[in-house]
Amino acid sequence: MRIIEAGASHLNYWSILWAKRSLLFYLTRKDLIVRYKQTVVGVTWVLIRPFLTMVVFTMIFGAIANLDSNGLPYGFVVYAGIVPWFLFANLFGETSACLITNGGIMKKLNCPRLIFPIAILSVGLVDFVMSFLLLVGMMFWYKIYPSWQIIFFPLFILMTAATAVGLGLIAATLNAKYRDFQQLVPFILQMGMYLSPVGYLNQLVSPKWEWVYALNPLAGIINGFRWTLVPAAIPIYVPGLIYSIIFSIVILIIGIIVFRSAEAGFADTI
Amino acid sequence: MTFAIKVEHLSKCYVIQHGSSAGSLKELVEHYRRKFFSKLIPRKQDSEPDPYEVTHEEFWALKDVSFEIPKGAKLGVLGRNGAGKSTLLKLLSQTAEPTSGKIYIDGEISSLLEMGTGFHPELSGRENVFLNGAVLGMGRTEILRKFDEIVAFSEIEKFIDTPYKRYSSGMQARLAFAVAAHLEPEILILDEVLAVGDVSFQKKCLKKMEEISSGGATIIFVNHGVDAIKQFCTHAIVLDHGQLMLDTDNVDEAITMYLGDDA
Repeated sequence: MRIIEAGASHLNYWSILWAKRSLLFYLTRKDLIVRYKQTVVGVTWVLIRPFLTMVVFTMIFGAIANLDSNGLPYGFVVYAGIVPWFLFANLFGETSACLITNGGIMKKLNCPRLIFPIAILSVGLVDFVMSFLLLVGMMFWYKIYPSWQIIFFPLFILMTAATAVGLGLIAATLNAKYRDFQQLVPFILQMGMYLSPVGYLNQLVSPKWEWVYALNPLAGIINGFRWTLVPAAIPIYVPGLIYSIIFSIVILIIGIIVFRSAEAGFADTI
Repeated sequence: MTFAIKVEHLSKCYVIQHGSSAGSLKELVEHYRRKFFSKLIPRKQDSEPDPYEVTHEEFWALKDVSFEIPKGAKLGVLGRNGAGKSTLLKLLSQTAEPTSGKIYIDGEISSLLEMGTGFHPELSGRENVFLNGAVLGMGRTEILRKFDEIVAFSEIEKFIDTPYKRYSSGMQARLAFAVAAHLEPEILILDEVLAVGDVSFQKKCLKKMEEISSGGATIIFVNHGVDAIKQFCTHAIVLDHGQLMLDTDNVDEAITMYLGDDA
């Protein structure tokens, strides 16, 4: 026997979420399949976008601006920044829109709403693995071999995902009511790509302003990401790293709290 | 008598917002800017009202509704547009939270609220059966076991691998009903499921519903056509403006009242 009353939907939330894992599987599968339906190259798009971005950035920042790459091949430097950035951008962008894209299901279905961001997270990680394989290929090509610091690599994936999902949940909650965020998020991502050390190394920022630059949590994450791959050539900026770790954890918790507090009303406000 | 669902003093209130917060942030910011400046610079009393002013209005979609559905009953829900039928079904299927009151549910609920929930236009019929099955709460093995039966019922064997978006609306409705009809819920909520589909398919649907019901399931059935309700239901309730007008096991009486309301 179940009793439904005001406020009762908060009970047993996580166990219900677990019980719905079959739905999660099909939502993820749907998202994976649907994206590249009626396209010619299909899933290869996952690689084409970061690859072309790398080519363009290498031309602009490497060949034209002739920025310093600490002795590393410029294409590799850029791609090692693009991989975490695309993971962040995909997760943040998609999560912020998840209530709108799944609005039809959400209005008709009683399920923990966190199932949508989790499906997006799964899809994002699949994309990430593919673009990461290309990075591994590049490292072989340039004969760059990792050292023991590579064990910290998963930490930076987790930080990227936590930051993106946390911010995405906040944006999704606001987006349910104010569609302004649908316009704002792509713009933030467009700007953020240049404000984060994607096309260049953060070591180029003068030491005086390093701490200001590191206020962007992605700066510390991307710096650390490159560091785990080539610790010999990329120094790590420790204050920025600590800030990014704390930021990613705090923002994820805040995101979940904000999302959960507004959750009961999503079907009514969307 | 044991009940499948018992509803006690159930109410649902929606707050209708007029003015800024219904729309974009910009309007909300504009509202507060005006409010701020009007405090700073007191204007003449006869200045025009602020178009961005936020006002709230309460709308009680359901008000103090109580009834009980016995196990195995076939309940027809009657009421005009805006009577609160959809709100009631939303609360029963837990897609919305009640404002006050309680619902006791004994059994697993499956609801088919509007056809094709969770169907994706780009996916094929086959992929959609699996997705929709999962949305409705079926596990993978259960769907696999019933897949052939579902396809046969929907009569679209030939097009099962065609994208759903290329289906006619009749085909879409048939597939959607077929998936839902093969659930094995203890309580099944059906909202306007007969709206699409030709007469022979409607008959087939009603026959299938009869079959589900004879298996012991409780069915809650919303339909605008009274003939299907008359033929199918054993109990009926009539809603009007969010209030329960009648709760009876005499379906004809309920239909008379519902039709009388129209006149």
